[in-house]
Amino acid sequence: MSVNLLKIFACVLAVAACTQDEPASEDTEAMQGPPRVYTVNYPLAYFAERIAGDSVKVVFPAPAEVDPATWSPAAEIIADYQRADLVLLNGAGYADWIQRATLSQSRLVDTSAALADRLIPVVDSVTHSHGPGGDHSHQRTAFTTWLDMTFAIGQARAVFDALVRLRPENETDFRERLTELEKDLGELDRRLKVVAERIGDQPLVFSHPVYQYLVSGYGLNGRSVHWEPHETPGNDQWRELSNALASHAAAWMIWEDEPLAETENRLEAIGIRSLVFRPCGNRPAEGSLVSVMLDNVMALEQAFPASAL
Amino acid sequence: MRDVLYLAWRYLVYHRLKTAILVTSIMLIIYLPIGLNVVVEQSAEHLTARAEATPLLVGAKGSPLELALNSLYFSSEHPELIDYSEATMVADSGLADAIPLYVRFRSRTHPIVGTSLDYFSFRNLSFASGRPMAVLGECVVGATVAESLGVQPGDAIISSSETVFDLASVYPLKMKVSGILQRAFTPDDEAIFVDVKTAWIIEGLGHGHQDLARPEAVSGVLSRSEDNIVANASVVQFNEITEDNVDSFHFHGDLADYPLTAVLAVPRDDKSGVILRGRYTDAGATSQIIRPVTVIDELLDTILTIQQFIVAAVIIVGLATIATAALVFMLSLRLRRREIDTMLKIGGSRPRVAAMLLAEVFIVVILSSTLAAAMTLVTWRYGPSVIESFVLA
Repeated sequence: MSVNLLKIFACVLAVAACTQDEPASEDTEAMQGPPRVYTVNYPLAYFAERIAGDSVKVVFPAPAEVDPATWSPAAEIIADYQRADLVLLNGAGYADWIQRATLSQSRLVDTSAALADRLIPVVDSVTHSHGPGGDHSHQRTAFTTWLDMTFAIGQARAVFDALVRLRPENETDFRERLTELEKDLGELDRRLKVVAERIGDQPLVFSHPVYQYLVSGYGLNGRSVHWEPHETPGNDQWRELSNALASHAAAWMIWEDEPLAETENRLEAIGIRSLVFRPCGNRPAEGSLVSVMLDNVMALEQAFPASAL
Repeated sequence: MRDVLYLAWRYLVYHRLKTAILVTSIMLIIYLPIGLNVVVEQSAEHLTARAEATPLLVGAKGSPLELALNSLYFSSEHPELIDYSEATMVADSGLADAIPLYVRFRSRTHPIVGTSLDYFSFRNLSFASGRPMAVLGECVVGATVAESLGVQPGDAIISSSETVFDLASVYPLKMKVSGILQRAFTPDDEAIFVDVKTAWIIEGLGHGHQDLARPEAVSGVLSRSEDNIVANASVVQFNEITEDNVDSFHFHGDLADYPLTAVLAVPRDDKSGVILRGRYTDAGATSQIIRPVTVIDELLDTILTIQQFIVAAVIIVGLATIATAALVFMLSLRLRRREIDTMLKIGGSRPRVAAMLLAEVFIVVILSSTLAAAMTLVTWRYGPSVIESFVLA
């Protein structure tokens, strides 16, 4: 008992060493202008811009040429994220630099958190083990969530909730704009369902494994390869496609962007036509998320016209 | 009068050893209770201020004092651990903001505090130079740490192993200093702040290593199948996080199960705080919520009790010392009988001789009091630092 009391006493005396004066308190940064909302991809930036208008400053700092899903921002850009009033995350492991960055948890909003039961795990992870830790794998989740428009609507609502917490005085305006956005996304969803109905069980090949939510949301029969639209596929990739076609006789390959003419021609030669369905993870050179998605839907509608039924 | 003082002074100077012993004894008797009181009052004031500035702490069930001291003052003894999910639960409750704390590791004597950016704004900590940590492996250091280690933004600090003799333990992590805090005159000056994920890497829960699928890792691979690679312990794990290897750092399992020492809960308002506390009243719960100010008040009660005991002991010793001093003076008078007779015979009046003897006592008391005041001043300024160095040594 006496030893414990002495320990306590010594500890308290030591604590007193740390103070002589009151700490100088000062605001680190005077906030000026509207609240700043940072996002990890363009769809979330678009949702925030549509819902909040000029009430907040929406920033999506990824350069135009990168894929935001795999982009690693420099420390200075992370510092900008740290100063944001709100950081909108896509969730589903999108932009995994978030895991390695120091961001204020209270300002992070995972827009797919409420939809966690609809996330799609990626099953091709390789496990490894070393030392006493046992087997472990870097399990991933498919992250291009907004390609399922109902999922996108859920994310837009999460953005709305976060914006209302940030600017509660604007809730009425935000709600009106959310309704407009939901209407646009709902129309895209309706048209996608119609065209998906026409596609039915027809096998499709996707050039990149980023269409899981499109496949899942609209019941498509798709299989993915790992091709880049601006790179000529190698012999291994052609062989992989050939193997896939043996059991999955697709007549269409859906690309993230316009493929090289050489690739497109070679695909045509084996009976596969190409169409572009842009995921639009980054800000498009022209238009908006909805207009790009509308182009995507129209491309599908042209490829699978109603008259073909 | 000056002649009386002069003679008394010369007597004391001539018998300097006896005078020094007397002055020291009386000085200590005056100084000890006052100095102790100063230190305790400083401690109490500081403890209370820091505790009052910390509304609620969530931690594992156990000693509330250990939880409070570790979370507020980064003491080396850490409480039982809780899961990170506790922080998520507090945040998700909507009743309070949750600031995770993982205060377990050290760099030399300085505590490494794994936390989030919210900690800096919560404690009103501002930066003297640099910026907050932005990525894994970066750290922010308190003003005292920066001074004692001589580090600037861009320099590196290495974490210390938990146990010197555990050769199989995790390698120390080399951390890059991203910023230095302005002096706050709190325990934050002594701390090294990292993202809680960096603290987990120090513990070995997260790591970066060679890509086992790459050819250069072949020497470390024991077996390889289509969906599993087994490596031996020689696989190179990185003990410094750089721009080149940061992408290889990863965590296994669910982060919700990762450890924390406490969660600093900042309720939205008083009502939210009460509701939140009510959620931890279940006797079967594995975690507890404490109000640090209550715990510290109890601690201060204990300290005041100890102080009262010590002061009582000092007073008794003081009385004994005063009695001894009086005895010394009385014996001294006997020994100086011939000297006093001589002074009377050469014309000194009895009152002046008595005045001279009283002046000797007066000078001794004044000297003792002055020294005690100086010692108290030194204690007020440096005492806690000296005690701290003893405790942390």
